[in-house]
Amino acid sequence: MFEQLIQDLAGDNGSLYTGLKYFSAELWLSGTIVVMLLLRLFSVDRWIPTFAVALAGSAIALWGLFGQFTELMTANTDVSIAFFGDMLRQDLFSVFFRMFLSLFLILTIALTVLTGIPDNEDAPDFYALLFGATVGMMMMASANNLLMLFLGVEMASVPSYVMVGFLKGRKPSSEAALKYVVYGAGAAGVMLYGISLVTGVLGTGDMTLLASRLALVSDGVAGLGDPEVCVVALGIMMVLAGLAFKLSLVPFHFWCPDAFEGASAEVAGFLSVASKAGAFALLVRFCLGLSGVEATAELMTAFGVALGAVAIVTATFGNLAAYTQNNLKRLLSYSTIAHAGYMLMAVAAMMVMQNSDQAAGLGQEINAAVGGLLYYLAVYMFMNLGAFAIIALVRNYTFDESIDSIRGLSSQSPALAVGMGVCVFSLIGIPPFGGFFAKLMVFAAVLKSAEIHWFMYVVLAFGGLNTVFSLFYYLKIVKAIFIEERPAEARAVTLPSMEGLYVVVLAVMVTLLGFFPAVTEGLSSIANAAGNAVLSVVGG
Amino acid sequence: MSGDSLSKWLMIAWLLPLLGFVVEIFFGYYSRNPRRSKAAAWFAVGCIGTGFICSVIAFTQWCSMTGAFDGESGWLAARVHAHDADDNDADDNDADDNDADDNDAEHHDGHSGHDDGEAKGHDSDDSSPSDAAGAAEAPAEEEAASDEAAVLREGGHLLAVAEDEGDDHSHGHDGPKGEFSGVIYTLGTFGGITLSMDYYIDSLTLVMFMMVTLIATCIHLFAMGYMSDELTDDYVDHFAHTADGKHVHRPGRFYRFFAFLSLFCFAMLGLVLAGNIFQVFVFWELVGICSFLLIGFYTERKTASNAANKAFIMNRVGDFGFLIGLMVLLTYFGTFRFGDTKVDGEVVEQGLFSMVTRDATGNFVRDDITGEVLLTDTHGHALTEGGENRTIPYMLLVVAGLGVFAGCVGKSAQFPLQTWLPDAMEGPTPVSALVHSATMVAAGVYLTGRFFPMFVQEVLLTIAYIGCITLFMAATIAVVVTDIKKVLAYSTISQLGYMMLGLGVFGWGAGLFHLVTHAFFKSLMFLCSGSVIHGCHHEQEMPKMGGLLKKMPITAITMLVGVCAIAGFPLFLGLHFSGFHSKDAIVASALAFVNANPTHFLLFFLPLLTAGITAFYMFRLWFYTFWGKPRDQHLHDHAHESPWIMTVPLLILAPFAWLCAFGGEQGYLYVLITGNDPSHLHDGVQAVTTGGLTLPGHEAVHAVHSQAGWLAMIAAFSGALLAYLLYGVGIVDLDRMKAQLSKVHGFLLNKWHFDELYDSLFMKPAHKVAAFCAWFDKAVFDNIVHGFAKVGIVIAQWDRVFDEKVVDGFVNLLGDSTKSIGNSLKVVQTGRLRQYVMFIVLGVVTLFAFVFTTFPS
Repeated sequence: MFEQLIQDLAGDNGSLYTGLKYFSAELWLSGTIVVMLLLRLFSVDRWIPTFAVALAGSAIALWGLFGQFTELMTANTDVSIAFFGDMLRQDLFSVFFRMFLSLFLILTIALTVLTGIPDNEDAPDFYALLFGATVGMMMMASANNLLMLFLGVEMASVPSYVMVGFLKGRKPSSEAALKYVVYGAGAAGVMLYGISLVTGVLGTGDMTLLASRLALVSDGVAGLGDPEVCVVALGIMMVLAGLAFKLSLVPFHFWCPDAFEGASAEVAGFLSVASKAGAFALLVRFCLGLSGVEATAELMTAFGVALGAVAIVTATFGNLAAYTQNNLKRLLSYSTIAHAGYMLMAVAAMMVMQNSDQAAGLGQEINAAVGGLLYYLAVYMFMNLGAFAIIALVRNYTFDESIDSIRGLSSQSPALAVGMGVCVFSLIGIPPFGGFFAKLMVFAAVLKSAEIHWFMYVVLAFGGLNTVFSLFYYLKIVKAIFIEERPAEARAVTLPSMEGLYVVVLAVMVTLLGFFPAVTEGLSSIANAAGNAVLSVVGG
Repeated sequence: MSGDSLSKWLMIAWLLPLLGFVVEIFFGYYSRNPRRSKAAAWFAVGCIGTGFICSVIAFTQWCSMTGAFDGESGWLAARVHAHDADDNDADDNDADDNDADDNDAEHHDGHSGHDDGEAKGHDSDDSSPSDAAGAAEAPAEEEAASDEAAVLREGGHLLAVAEDEGDDHSHGHDGPKGEFSGVIYTLGTFGGITLSMDYYIDSLTLVMFMMVTLIATCIHLFAMGYMSDELTDDYVDHFAHTADGKHVHRPGRFYRFFAFLSLFCFAMLGLVLAGNIFQVFVFWELVGICSFLLIGFYTERKTASNAANKAFIMNRVGDFGFLIGLMVLLTYFGTFRFGDTKVDGEVVEQGLFSMVTRDATGNFVRDDITGEVLLTDTHGHALTEGGENRTIPYMLLVVAGLGVFAGCVGKSAQFPLQTWLPDAMEGPTPVSALVHSATMVAAGVYLTGRFFPMFVQEVLLTIAYIGCITLFMAATIAVVVTDIKKVLAYSTISQLGYMMLGLGVFGWGAGLFHLVTHAFFKSLMFLCSGSVIHGCHHEQEMPKMGGLLKKMPITAITMLVGVCAIAGFPLFLGLHFSGFHSKDAIVASALAFVNANPTHFLLFFLPLLTAGITAFYMFRLWFYTFWGKPRDQHLHDHAHESPWIMTVPLLILAPFAWLCAFGGEQGYLYVLITGNDPSHLHDGVQAVTTGGLTLPGHEAVHAVHSQAGWLAMIAAFSGALLAYLLYGVGIVDLDRMKAQLSKVHGFLLNKWHFDELYDSLFMKPAHKVAAFCAWFDKAVFDNIVHGFAKVGIVIAQWDRVFDEKVVDGFVNLLGDSTKSIGNSLKVVQTGRLRQYVMFIVLGVVTLFAFVFTTFPS
C-alpha cells in the first residue's frame, strides 16, 4: 500500500501536483504551526502576537479553500476526485467541510483573543494544537480510505486531549483530560480492530469499494448467517463505535460532559462543533461506501435503522440528562449530545433511503437529507459557538460558569443577554431563527424515509418529542437571564464593545439564516450541491 | 395648443392660499406680539391678490391661445360685434316696422297684446349695446373701474377696434373650443378606475377664477378692518356668556380667521379648477368644513356653534345624494373626468361629457331596442363591450343628475335645504360676504352649470321648480325680516333660486351670468352691511337704525349701487346696473320656456312677481337703514363711517357691481361665460313625445327678450316705488298694517315654519327613535351582553379548574417524570473511568446484538 502510495506520488508529476493543490489548505495550516513555533523559538512573538499569525494562516487557508469551492461550484459540482493514491478525495462535500472548519477556526481564534485564554506565553502551543486538530478534522472530511479514517480521527483527537487539559493548574481540567485520553484510546482500539476486520475480509481499505466487495464476499444476498458477513458487520459496528465516540453518541458519550466541564469554554465550543463536523463527514462517507449495492441493501437498512435507534436514545438521553445540570458548560455538553442525536437522524434517513429499492427515484430526497445535515452543522456552528462564547465572556467577569453567573444578565449587558437569547431559541428550534430551518430539513428527510421503513416514524416522533423536552432546560437559561433579578453579590458584567460585537455578529448570523429566505436558500442550495457531490461515488 | 402653462398659472393661484393657510395657522402665532400682529392678514391678502394676478395672466394666455382677440377676426370681439349687429338689425326692424316679421315671430305667441309697447321698450333698452360699442363709452368705463379685470379693459379697447367690422360670424358658434383638461397628479389606479387630480379649464373656469380671487381680495382687505377688534390679548365677547352670566373673555383670534379664509380660498379655487367630479366632491367637502369653521368662528356663542352644526349637517343631506350620483356615474361610465384625456391631440381616455351624444332634436341618442341611453365615443359612435352596446338606463341618468343636483341644493341652500343659510349669518360679516353669498353657495350653481351636459329634461324641470319655489319663498321671508344681514341672506337664497331657475329653463348662460353679477353686488352689499354693523357697534336690527346716510355716506351710496343692481334697474346710456342684464336674461329664458311649455306657466310668473318683491325688500332695507330719521338716537350718535381699509373695498366692488355686465348679453362678460357653453344649447331641445319638454333655443329666447325685459323692469320699479312709499315717505302706519296682516306676517316671520316642520318631521321622530334605541340598548342588549359575560365567567371558572387540575397536572407530571428520569440518568455518569471504558465494550456488544436480533439472517 505504501509502496503504491509512494509510486503514485513520485511517479506521476501531474497527479502529485494536483494532489498538492487539493491539499494546499492543510499544508498552509501545518506551515503556520511551524512558523508559530519558530517565532517563539526566536522570541519574535513578543513583537508579533501569535494570534495574528494564526489568524493570517487560517484566513489564507480559508481563502484558498474558497477558491477551490468557487471553482467546483461554477464548473463541476458533482465531480469527486481521489488523489494521493486514492487515500483522500476532493469534491464539493470535502471542500464544504474544510471551508466550514477553517471559518470555524478563525471564529475560535477570534474568541480566544477576546477572552484572553491562552496567555501570550502559551499561545503558540495552544494554536499549534488547535491547528493540528483542525488539520486532522479536515483529513476526516476528505478521507477515502479506512486508514485515513483512523489517521484523521487520531490526528484530531490527540491535540484535543491536550487542549482539554490546557488549564494546567486546574485539577478538574487535568482529570477531564486524562479521562478523555483513556476513553479515546479505548475507542480508538475498538475502531482499529473493526478496521482490521473489515479490510481483512474485504481485502481493501477503499471506502467506496466496501459495498461491492461485501456483495462479492456474501455470495448473493448478504445475511448475518454467513460468518464472513457477520465478521464484516461486527467490524463495521466497531468502526461506527469509534466514530460514535467522536460524535459523543450514547452510549459512547461518557467522556463528553466530564471533558467539557473540565475544559475551558472556548475549547469546549471548538470541540463540540468542529470535531462533530469532521466525524459527520466521515460517517456520511463511510455509510455511503457501504450503501447502494443491491446485495447489501437489506443489511445496510438494518444499520440505518440502528443508527436511528441510536439517534433516539442519544437525543432523549442528552435532553433529559441536561435537566438537572447547574454548570452551564455541562448543560451545554448534554445539549451537544442531544443535537448530535438530531443530526444522526439525517444520516439514518439517508442510509435507509439509499438502501431502499426506490433509491434511484429518491435522489432528490437523499440529497436533501445530506443537505439538511450540512445546513444543521452550519447553523449549529454559529449558535453553539455563540452560547459557549457568552459563557466564556461572562466567566471572565464573574469567574463562574454556573447558571447563577448569568442570572439577571439582561439588566447589565443587554447585548450578551439578547445574543444568548437568540442562540438558545435557535438551539430549541423556534422560528424564525436558523435552528428551526435546520431541524425542519432534517425532520423532512426523516419523514420521507419513513415511507420506506416504519421505524423512521418512531424516530420522527422522538425527534419532535425531544424538542419539547429540550424546552425545559433551555428556557431555564432564558429565564435566568431575562426574568430573574441579578443577585446583589454577583460581580458586574460590563462589556467592551468588541466582545459585544462578536456576539452580535454570531447572533445576527443565526437570525439571518432563519430570517432571510435568500440566505437560507443560498446556504441550503450549497449544502445540497455538496450532498450531491458525495452521493456521486455511491456504490463504487 | 397646450394648456400646460395656462394650468400652471391657475395652479399657482390655487395653491398660494394653501401656502397662506399653512403659514398662517402654523406660524401665525410666532411673532413678537402675536395677538396684535396683522402679519397674517397681510400674508393672506398677498396670497390671494397674487392669485388674482395669476388668474388674469392665465386669462390673457387663454385668450391668445383661443384667438379671442386675434386681430380683428378674434372670436370674442367678433362675437360681441356680431351680436350687436344682429340686435341692431332686429331692433331697427322692430322700431321701423313695428310689426311682426320673420325675426320676431315668437314675440307674438300669446303675448301679442304687449307687442307694441314691448317692442318700443326693447328698442329703447337695447339700443344701449350699440351705443356701448361706441368708442365714447369704452374709455369712460375704463376709468370707472380702473383696476378691473382684463376682461373689461381689453373688452372696452377692442370693442372700439371691432366697431365697424363686418359680421361674417353668424352666431358665434364657430367660437373657441378652448377647453383644456389634463392630469395634475394621479392618486392611484384601482383596476380600471383611476383616481386623479385633474384640471378642466374653459372660459367659465377662468371667469370664476378671476371673480373669486378679486372678490376674495377685496373681502380680505375689508376683514382686516372689520376684524381688527380681535387684535387684542383680551377679547370680550358681548354675545357669549359664561355660566355665571359674565361676558366671555378670550384671546383674539385674528390670525386664525385669516388662516381659515385662506384655506377657504384654496378649497374654492380647487373646486373650480377640478377636472373630475370626484375631485369636485373633495373640494366641495373642503369648502364645507371651511364654512363650518367660519360660521362657528365665535365658537363661545351657542347660536354660532349651533348654526355651524346646522350648516354642516344639512349639507351632508345633500351630499348624500351627491354620493349616490357619483356611484351611478362611476358604475356606468367608469370615469369621473369631465373632459377627454388627450395625448398629442389623440383622445386616449374619454371623459363623461363626450360619452353621451345628442341627436338633431337635442335629445340623448338612445338604443333602438332597449331605449337606454347609448354611451358613445368622441365621434358619436356607440361604444361596445363584449359585442353589446354600452348603455345606461335613462332612469339612472335621471338619478345621477338628481343626485348631483341634490348636492347643489344643499350647498346653494335651495328648497328644501335652505334653512341653514340664514343661521349661517352668525359668522363674521366678511365670511357672510365671501362664503355665504358670493362664492361657496354659488358653487352649487357652478356645479349645476358645469355638469349641465349630463342633465336630462326631467332633471332640468326639477331644477327649475326647485329654483322657482326657492326664489319666491325666500323673497317673501326677506320682506319681514328686520336683521340687516338676514335680509341679505334671504335675498341670497332667492337670487340663487333665480340662477337655478335660469339653468333649469335652459338659460345656461343666463344662470351663470347672474352667478357672476350676483357675486359682485351681493358681496358689495354684505360688505356695506358689515360696514353699517361695524359703525353701529354690532347692532344688526334695522328698526334701530335710520338716517345713517349722513353719518356714513360712502357706505350708503355704495349700498345703493348694490340695491339698484339687485333690483335690476336700467339706466341711461346703457349704463344699466348689472342685475338688470342678468335677471333680464333669466326672465327671458323663463318666458321662452313657458311659451314652449304652457303648462309650466308658474316658472315665469313667480320669478316675475319676485322681481318686484326683490326690489321692494331691498329698498326697504336701504330706506330703513339710511333714510328718514334716526329711530335710536343713542345708536345714531355713536355711529361713524368705517375706516379707509373697509371703504376702499366697497369703492372697488361698487363699479363692478354696477357695470360688470356691461353690454348685457352682447357684452364681454356674457360672451366670455358662454364661450364654451354646452353645444346643444344653441338650437334648444325638441320634445320627442307628447307631454315632453321642449327647451327653447337661443333664437326663441332672443325673440322674447324685450318683452320679458319690460315686464321685469315694471315689476322692479313698482316694488321699489312701494318700498319708497312705505318706508321712505311712510304713508301707512306700518304697525297697524302688521297687525292687520298678522297671520301672514307671522307666517313669514317664522320662515314659512320650515324650522318647525323639520323639527317635527325629523328632529322629534329622531329623538323618539333615539330614546327607544337607548332604552332597547339598555334593556335588551346590555342584558344579553351581561348574560354572555356571566356565562363567560362561569366557563372561565370551570376552565381554570380544568387548567389547573388536568392540563397543569399533565404538564407537571411530564415535567416531574422527565426530571426524575434525568436525575436517575445522572447516576449513570459516575465519573469512574473504568466504568466508562466498560461501556464502550458493552455498547458495541449491545448494538451488535440489536442488529443481529432484528435482522433476519
